[in-house]
Amino acid sequence: MNLDRIMKLRLAGVSKTFLGRKNRVPALEDISLEVQKGEFVCLIGPSGCGKSTLLNIIAGLTQPDRGSVLMDGHPIREPGPDRVVMFQDHALFPWLTVLGNVEFGMKMKGVPKEKRRALAQEFLRMVHLTAFQHAYTHELSGGMKQRVALARALSINPDILLMDEPFCALDAQSREILQAELQEIWSLTRKTIVFVTHNVREAVYLGNRVVVMSARPGRIKKDIAIDLPRPRRLGSLEMIKVTNMVMQELRGEIETVLKEELHDA
Amino acid sequence: MRSAVRVMLFYVLLLLIWEGIFRLRLWPAFLFPSPLQVFRTLAAGLCDTTYLIGIGVSMQRILLGFGISLALGIVVGFCIGSFKILDGTIGPLLNGLRSLPSICWFPLGLLWFGLNENAINFVVIMGAAFCITLATDDGVKNIPPLYLRAASTMGARGLKRFWYVIIPAALPSIITGMKLGWSFAWRSLMAGEMLYVSLGLGHLLMMGRELNDISQMFAVMLVIMVLGLIVDKVVFGLMEREMRVRWGLNAL
Repeated sequence: MNLDRIMKLRLAGVSKTFLGRKNRVPALEDISLEVQKGEFVCLIGPSGCGKSTLLNIIAGLTQPDRGSVLMDGHPIREPGPDRVVMFQDHALFPWLTVLGNVEFGMKMKGVPKEKRRALAQEFLRMVHLTAFQHAYTHELSGGMKQRVALARALSINPDILLMDEPFCALDAQSREILQAELQEIWSLTRKTIVFVTHNVREAVYLGNRVVVMSARPGRIKKDIAIDLPRPRRLGSLEMIKVTNMVMQELRGEIETVLKEELHDA
Repeated sequence: MRSAVRVMLFYVLLLLIWEGIFRLRLWPAFLFPSPLQVFRTLAAGLCDTTYLIGIGVSMQRILLGFGISLALGIVVGFCIGSFKILDGTIGPLLNGLRSLPSICWFPLGLLWFGLNENAINFVVIMGAAFCITLATDDGVKNIPPLYLRAASTMGARGLKRFWYVIIPAALPSIITGMKLGWSFAWRSLMAGEMLYVSLGLGHLLMMGRELNDISQMFAVMLVIMVLGLIVDKVVFGLMEREMRVRWGLNAL
C-alpha cells in the first residue's frame, strides 16, 4: 500500500454563515477539500476569507451549517487531541511552567508521569528550549512561547496538526527561524499539517500544497501543488518564482476585498 | 535596611507621643492608659494564658466558619460561573446579600440558633461566603476563552478540564476573594464574640469594658489587630505573591 495516498481528511460542501447583529455574514461557501496523510497543506487568502473558520471547523471548535467533515471516514463533532490546534496567540497556561505546559496534553490523555516528563523533555529539545523548561511562560519571548506551543502540540502526537497563523505575531527574525524549524520537524515526523496563513512566502516555503481562498463568501479558488525539493531556502530562485505565481492568484482577491472595505466605509 | 530603621523610628516616635499625651493628663488614667500599662497587661494576659485561650478559641471559630464559607463559596461560585441560568437568577440575589453588613444577620441568628456558638458561626459564614462566592464566579467568567479552546483541543473535558484548567485559571480571583472573605469573617467573629461569655478575643475586649479595665481593652485590640494582620499579610500575602510571580503579573 502506498502510504502517500491515504485520505486523512475530507471536507465536502462545507458552508458557514455567521449571524451578525443586523446582517448575515457568509463566511464559507461550499468548501470541498481533501488532505492526504502526511501532507502539509497551507490555506491562504485575504483577511476575512474564512480560513480560520475553516480551521476551527476541522478542529471541531465551530460547527458548519452544511456539509460534511470526515477524518479517517468518521464525522468530526467536537474538539479532540487527535486534531490539536496551535493558535496565533500561544495560549500557554500561565500557571504552569514550560515543562508543565508541554506535559499538559499528555496528562489529559493519561500518560504516566515519568513517561510524559521524558517525552516533554524530548520535544523541548527538539525546539531548543531545554534550558527554559522550569521557567514560567511570561519569562519567555514571543518566539520562545510559540516554540513551547509547538512542542506542546507535537507531544500529544495528533493525527493532524492545525496551525492558525502561528507565526504571524512574531518579529521577522523569529518567524524565519520558526519556519525553518517547522520545516525540519515536518521532514522528520511527516505529520499531517493544515496551516493557515496570509503570508504567501510562508505558505510556499512550508506547504506541499497551497490552497488559495477567495473572500466573502470564502471559497476555494485554486489548489496549487508545490513540488520544490526540501530543504527549501527562503529567497531561492525557484521559491521566488512560485511565490510570484501564487501572489498573482491572490492579488485579485485582495483588491476585491479592499474595494469592498473602502466601499463599506 | 534603611527603610526598616525608618519604620522602627516611626513606631518609637508614636509610642513617645502616646506616652507624652498620657503624661499631659488630658483624660483620667482609667480612660486613657499609658503604653507601659498596656504592655504590662498584655504580658500578664499572655503569661497567665487568658489571652492565649482567647486566641485559641477565636482561631478555632474562624477556621470553622471561614472553612465552611470557603467550601460553600467556591462550590456555589463555580456553579454560578458555569451555568448561565444560575448566573441570571442567583447571581443578583447574592450580590444583594453581600451588600448587607454581616452584623445585620445577628438578630436573625440569635432567633434561629439562640445565644450560642451556632449564632456566631452563622454570622461569620454570612459575612464571608458571599464575597468568596462572587469572587470565584468572577474568576470563572473572566477565564480567557482562548485557554478553554486550547484545553479542549488538547482533550481536556469534564472533571479534568475543571480541575486542571478552570480552577487554576480562576485562582487569582479566588485568592483575592479569600483575602476579602477572611477580613469580613474576622470582623463578624469579633462582633459576635462580644455578645455573650464566648471566651474568645471579642469577649475579652468586652470584659475589659465591664471591668473598666482600659489597658485590657487596648491590649486585646492590639492582639486582634496583629492577628488579623498576620493572617492577611503572611498567609494570603504569600499566596498572592507566589501567584503573581508565577503568572508574571508583577511585571505589568
